[in-house]
Amino acid sequence: MKIAVFWGCCIQANQYAYEMSVRETLPEFNIELVDLQDTTCCGDPVKSMNEFAATYLAARVLALANQTGLDNILVPCNRCHFTISEAKDTIKRDPKTAKKVFELLKEEELEFNPNIKIWHTIDLLHDLVGLDKIKKAVKKPLKGLRTASHVGCQIVRYTDLGRIDNAENPKKLDELIAALGAESIDYPEKLDCCGAALNRSHPDSALSLAGSKLKAVQSLNIGCMLVSCPDCQLMFDSKQKEAGTTVGAKLNVPVVYYTQLLGLALGIDDRKLGLQLNQSPVEELVTKIQG
Amino acid sequence: MSLIDLMSMAKPNQQSRTKILAKLKGKELVNCFQCMKCTSGCTALKLLELKPNEIVKLVNLGFVDELPSSDIIWTCVTCLKCVERCPQKASPYHVIMGLRNLAVEKEAKVPEGFLKAVSQILETGLAEPPQKIVTRKMETLDRTCLKLPKIKSPKESFQATFMKAMEEKIE
Repeated sequence: MKIAVFWGCCIQANQYAYEMSVRETLPEFNIELVDLQDTTCCGDPVKSMNEFAATYLAARVLALANQTGLDNILVPCNRCHFTISEAKDTIKRDPKTAKKVFELLKEEELEFNPNIKIWHTIDLLHDLVGLDKIKKAVKKPLKGLRTASHVGCQIVRYTDLGRIDNAENPKKLDELIAALGAESIDYPEKLDCCGAALNRSHPDSALSLAGSKLKAVQSLNIGCMLVSCPDCQLMFDSKQKEAGTTVGAKLNVPVVYYTQLLGLALGIDDRKLGLQLNQSPVEELVTKIQG
Repeated sequence: MSLIDLMSMAKPNQQSRTKILAKLKGKELVNCFQCMKCTSGCTALKLLELKPNEIVKLVNLGFVDELPSSDIIWTCVTCLKCVERCPQKASPYHVIMGLRNLAVEKEAKVPEGFLKAVSQILETGLAEPPQKIVTRKMETLDRTCLKLPKIKSPKESFQATFMKAMEEKIE
């Protein structure tokens, strides 16, 4: 199956490991990714400045997807997924805004298509590929690996918009982890936010949000923490050391993308999955799985 | 400065209130009965004392003019828990976003991070430039070393339309 893919800024600017691991793992399940041409930002940072401009940028992504002729688009970033879904909803509910957006798109000879389905990595793997297929594809079962999952905020909220999982009790990521043979434990801070959205206005507070969640996760005696959003990985992995200083803790939590763990379980080389890029201590996890 | 300090001299302004309400299209702000579900679950409450219920109340009463110049509207983490849990669909998140837009329109102080993102998008199409990553083993890697596709700059036609979109005002 062919599917269009929109990566967004954060993945393309520094979260290369997510891009690499998605590009490596999805073809294993006969999913061919088609990169969009001439993509720009999804509109998220612009939303605070000018909501209309954000809606235009997000609609532009769907218009670019329309150019590929495909009916499905994968948006692996939680924030982009939310911004694009909300813009799609605005265009459906508000004809005045829709008209203005369509006019702007026309200037670039682009056309909006409301029938394109927006997928995230989690629901693509869970609902489209399916747990059984994943279970069968696993070459290195992760038996005995305890993990803490972090699904993120904007991918499960808010329900009226149509999100990928239950807002207060998301289960899909945990089921995907179980499909690899690993265990996903429940913990009180599971739905706490990583704080990434505060980076533009209150970077110190952003770090202390990430730090306090990591501190709680560290005490859980787990093999790794799993995320599926570039912003969350940025906070929990790339900025883990800095986050530790804001809560007075020496943090040593291995944090990986779900697609990285999936890749390891499928027997894909760790460098192809971008595991050399993780800033948190993932060596032990990788050697254990690769045996 | 807390919100209450800001309000001590404030006068209600129905025009600004109407602007926010118009922006919320279908989000029933006036139905808020101050149950405080939003504030009790707010991620930014613990850290930055954001109280979404107070913001909704103030907007409902017409005290809108002081809010765009207050730093408090920039403390929202956009975790969307308030939207999810509001029994009245008053959605403080959308009110806060409306206030942020109003702050830009009124040329109040906007955190630099947002201004930077917009000029970056205009210039390169992306909100942040691609970075080189120094690994745990001190290798320096970029997209080319990792064999990831090159990122092209946007066409001029995009810049022109994006500028036009940014000029759009709140009705």
